[in-house]
Amino acid sequence: MSELQGLGAKLSEAERAGVEIVAVSPDPNERSQKVAEGLRLGYRFVADRDLAVARRYGLVHAGGGPDGQDVPRPATVVLDRDGVVRWFSVSRNFQVRPDPDDVLRAVRAL
Amino acid sequence: MTSSGRLAALSVVVAIGAVAAYVLLHRVAVVRNHPEGYVVAFALATALAALAVARARARRWPAWLALGLSSLLLVAGGWFNFVVAQVPVTPTALRVGERPPDFTLPDATGRPVSLEDYRGKKPVVLVFYRGYW
Repeated sequence: MSELQGLGAKLSEAERAGVEIVAVSPDPNERSQKVAEGLRLGYRFVADRDLAVARRYGLVHAGGGPDGQDVPRPATVVLDRDGVVRWFSVSRNFQVRPDPDDVLRAVRAL
Repeated sequence: MTSSGRLAALSVVVAIGAVAAYVLLHRVAVVRNHPEGYVVAFALATALAALAVARARARRWPAWLALGLSSLLLVAGGWFNFVVAQVPVTPTALRVGERPPDFTLPDATGRPVSLEDYRGKKPVVLVFYRGYW
């Protein structure tokens, strides 16, 4: 979650209003909701319970979870107003996430 | 304290300090994005402890204790960072300049969210994450 906090904290109020951050995880909804409230940030959490969307995107780390279950590969994608990918980053080490400044730069370049 | 004792103490400080620093500062992008930093710190701690063992004359156990601790952390940390945490690189459906596949997923209140909802309205930052941990 730390990357979400980092990005949210760096966006100004106006930018938060002008861009939608959609966070996709296999977490159940109630749990994501708590996270969203705890962070008090304008994220839209959506639940990809069975990883169907992550799979369609090619973003599944097979057997990568703590109990050997499939988990999403951490990834950040910046889409412009027309829904076209302008920038993306997929982690090769799950401890590593894109630098919020890089994401911000991509958002501000739209 | 002998020079061996000082080296052993320094080794423990470096090893424990690296763990504490990573835990406390993992929200800082530069720390989080350089996890190999803790492996380097454990290697340094191991080298210091090895030196302490080599210099130990009378009281050897602190040096051996430091060596045991630091080498254990080095092996565990190296294994975690270079083996466990590696995510295999496989082809994705993401191409710069193209639209990714659309989807409809429920948000926290159960309302459906699609990428199409935002088309022509707002840019979207789509974040895939592993879950709350």
